[in-house]
Amino acid sequence: MKRSSFFITTTLFIAVLAMSSCSGRPKSVPTAFTDVTDSAMIFPDYRDVTIPPNIAPMNIKVSDDGATEFVVEIGSLVAGATADGKTDIDSTAWRQLLEQNKGKDIAVHVYAHRPAGWVRFLPYTLHVAEEPIDGFLSYRLIEPGYELYRQLGLYQRNLSNFDEAVIYENNRSFSDKDNHCVNCHNFQNYSTDRMLFHVRAAHGGTVIIEGNEAHKIAIKHDSIIAAGVYPSWHPTQALVAFSTNSTGQVFHMFHKEKIEVLDMASDLLLYDVEKNSVRHILRSSDALETFPCWAPDGSRLYYCSARCNEARADSLILRTVAKYDSLLYDIYSIPFDAATRTFGEPRLEVDASASGHSTSVPRISPDGKYLLYTQGDYGQFHIWHHSADLWVKRLANSDSYPLTAANSAEAESFHSWSSNGRWIAFASRRLDAAYSRVFIAYFDRDGRAHKAFLLPQRDPDFNTMLLKSFNVPELTKDAVKISTEKLNHIVYDTEAELASYEE
Amino acid sequence: MKNKKQSITQKRPATKAEEPKNKVGRRLPWGIITGVAFFVLAWVWASWWMGDVLRIAYERSFFAADATLMYWLAQKSFGWLWIAGRALLTLYHWPVVGGLLVALLLTAGTWLTSYCLRLRGGWRCLSYLPAGAWLWWTAHVGLNLFYKSEPGRILAAPALYAAIAGVLALALKLSRKKANAQAATAWHWAAAELIIAVGCFALSAWHLQDRHPYLRPLTRMQVQLLHEDYAGMSATAHEHADICNRFVSGYYALALARTGQLADRLFDIRLEFDSIPTMGYDGKHNHCINYHVIDCDYHAGLYRASRHYAMEEMTLDGPSLYTLKYLTKIALIDGDWKLARKYFGVLKRVPFEGDFISRFEPMVGHAELVAADPEFSAVIAMAPERHSFEQFYLKPGFLGYYANLQTFKNKDALIWSTMACLYAKRMPDFLQRCGKFIDESLPRSIAEGLTIAAVKEPGILKAFPQLEMQMNAYELFVKEAMPYMQDREQGAEVLFEKYKGYYPYYYFFGNLHNTRKPGDDEQEHNRAGVN
Repeated sequence: MKRSSFFITTTLFIAVLAMSSCSGRPKSVPTAFTDVTDSAMIFPDYRDVTIPPNIAPMNIKVSDDGATEFVVEIGSLVAGATADGKTDIDSTAWRQLLEQNKGKDIAVHVYAHRPAGWVRFLPYTLHVAEEPIDGFLSYRLIEPGYELYRQLGLYQRNLSNFDEAVIYENNRSFSDKDNHCVNCHNFQNYSTDRMLFHVRAAHGGTVIIEGNEAHKIAIKHDSIIAAGVYPSWHPTQALVAFSTNSTGQVFHMFHKEKIEVLDMASDLLLYDVEKNSVRHILRSSDALETFPCWAPDGSRLYYCSARCNEARADSLILRTVAKYDSLLYDIYSIPFDAATRTFGEPRLEVDASASGHSTSVPRISPDGKYLLYTQGDYGQFHIWHHSADLWVKRLANSDSYPLTAANSAEAESFHSWSSNGRWIAFASRRLDAAYSRVFIAYFDRDGRAHKAFLLPQRDPDFNTMLLKSFNVPELTKDAVKISTEKLNHIVYDTEAELASYEE
Repeated sequence: MKNKKQSITQKRPATKAEEPKNKVGRRLPWGIITGVAFFVLAWVWASWWMGDVLRIAYERSFFAADATLMYWLAQKSFGWLWIAGRALLTLYHWPVVGGLLVALLLTAGTWLTSYCLRLRGGWRCLSYLPAGAWLWWTAHVGLNLFYKSEPGRILAAPALYAAIAGVLALALKLSRKKANAQAATAWHWAAAELIIAVGCFALSAWHLQDRHPYLRPLTRMQVQLLHEDYAGMSATAHEHADICNRFVSGYYALALARTGQLADRLFDIRLEFDSIPTMGYDGKHNHCINYHVIDCDYHAGLYRASRHYAMEEMTLDGPSLYTLKYLTKIALIDGDWKLARKYFGVLKRVPFEGDFISRFEPMVGHAELVAADPEFSAVIAMAPERHSFEQFYLKPGFLGYYANLQTFKNKDALIWSTMACLYAKRMPDFLQRCGKFIDESLPRSIAEGLTIAAVKEPGILKAFPQLEMQMNAYELFVKEAMPYMQDREQGAEVLFEKYKGYYPYYYFFGNLHNTRKPGDDEQEHNRAGVN
């Protein structure tokens, strides 16, 4: 309702401007045209990508100087575009088109009406995969600021259309006493039956959600560095592995990067949901352990670890002076016995530091064959590093290689597998090097990622106009069940239950 | 013929309905005259008296013809109203035009109020009360017109008032069976109306000057900065030399630095580092400590720090033209072409920002054009050239940052840093830098600073023999200042006119209100580590 009021106000105010875009969309393919040897300038770049058969209509914006009308022919589907070049593909026809073309290529022809007549650009293809992507994608929307926050939230997008639901939003109107941040949403085994997210500052705690019920807990103990940070639900048990990090950030004054996020100290914790208890998994003074991730069968826990030359740095400045760019994280795994709930000896999985690199965010494919991670030049908060790329390790033979077709010159990180292992969704800053967006890439049976495509939006300009970043995209098979109102109640009106600490 | 008609009319007694009409015919249209006078007063008030304030309110606001960009505001309570208010505020791109709109809204609202309530004679004075209340409010809230508050409400209020009055008037007009002839306003009631109208503006002006004396000079300097009128900024600061806080200090220093006068004229005004009491979004007091940091950091060459604060401000307050323009310019300096393109795409949806776009957009992808731009080249000239972190610099911005520099990219950086030490009264650091001035002509303030140190360390006179001339003046100053050493507040008042501009005066009597009050850490409230 409010949104429609906005449209009315805006439309009245810019009536003259609006008039210019009121021409109708062409409904049919031009009968007379000239073929040109150029490729159409389209945004997003959906040229020759592999797409899921259940993805939302992939609207584009075509640009061509002097052209007044555009037509996009996607297989048997004709999508007209107005003078601004934006398509608004009919969703029913789109669904039928994808259904009919599973496992096949669809040719896309773009036509532009120039002063001299219609032209047709070089065609491109959309390859429709056989395998669908999970139906829902959860993410956080927040400005790419560094320390402060005001309005932010966790949202869930239905990938087969453009519906976006609020999972939880903090204050829309500022209140100092209620101001809080939410982050690190995480789900158990691609299901929303069990999930969690953190609340920082006012009303702080970790919200644990089981089905339609939720409660708030606090992880706090003298022997624990800080609250639980990066989480990973055990795939079958009511257990969560957390890292606990003492984190700070410093801002470059003259450097290709803008910011460094550094851990002064970090350990790994195991939280038992049923007992509301927590204990250390790894606790060391000469290593920084972070980003835990369970194997799909729950038998191993993967994590990143960096050796520190000095003991735990007491201050951010100390850590910074002590060469922020010398912190190199490798990936380890540690066996876990679910029956006894005990861990074995760590095993080195990715020795990135040997080649002068650093890794973060290990994620194991659902079939247990691949370890997907981010590799950068140093450190662990790779989403702020230009060098960050997606890499994969074939666990069977220890081959590690970059996902070249999916990567870009900008940062890629915070990736998530689909439950069938054929899709990866990840955050990338490739559009503008600042605002992260969700990209999706097909991961084939040979372990290669295909060219990634930008999460489709009804208005293609949405991705360039939105002044917020998409954080931590997580795929799930179903929608979040608990209501926003209930989560509001849990966050605002309940006290966090303190988890007991087990030695 | 005309005389004949008049004589006929005079013979027949006027009906009640005709009587006022006849009176109008005989009298001056006082009602219209007072209306016009009010309109002119309102226009002058809104375009001249408050012109700079509302121009800066426009810069701190944001309105774009794009649903995605405005969604964050549209989803709030009364979001549509604030968006409409922001849309109207865009006319303050030209304060004369914005002022005209305000004058029209206030005049129309006043006239329609009178019409709806059928106010006659002296009662018409009541119709000025809503406009007067709005004028009082604008003066009362001062910087909070737009700082940590919704700028859309500034013009949404009079626009809504005029719109409601207009709708009511239309309804009344349609519902009244017979037009009720307007009684002519007697001259004495018109005079009373005029007095009320003038009183409203005068009271508002007085209240603003009494409660927020810094507001007009401060926003004047900000507007001058927008126009790169550094000499004008300096002149404004001198004109209001006794009204100073950390923001006026910062902008004044920035203007002097840009015109090469920093080392000669910094202490010409009553420099104070005091903060301004303002209200936060939650209605709590804060001290607005970072208001000028984005401007000052940028112009001091610390554009990365400026970017940091612009991004944080956008996070807290939503996008504004002010932050978006800085982020765009800094993206250009940094060579972040894709990011600059994004921001230009956003700014293209903002009405009336064509000048900014046409000046800067051609630089995308052309580092040589960025380097050749006078504004950018001045910023780049002062930018750090060695790797360092923002945390190693002192807060808050501008001069404070430079006090910690140990190596100097060029002579300007050395002077800025030396002046930062003088400003902060950090004499050991100042003396350390003075070594680089040996065998060079000493800028005025640096020479005066050395005289203070030379009293304790005579060796300084050997290194800087030219100071001999200054010592007599310093001794005279000390003699005159000595009685006030126990009461420096009084000394600051008594000695200001005679010694303003003289560094020893500043050293002993200047900047006595370097306060850090509860709430100064306004941003700390929201910090909880990494986002």
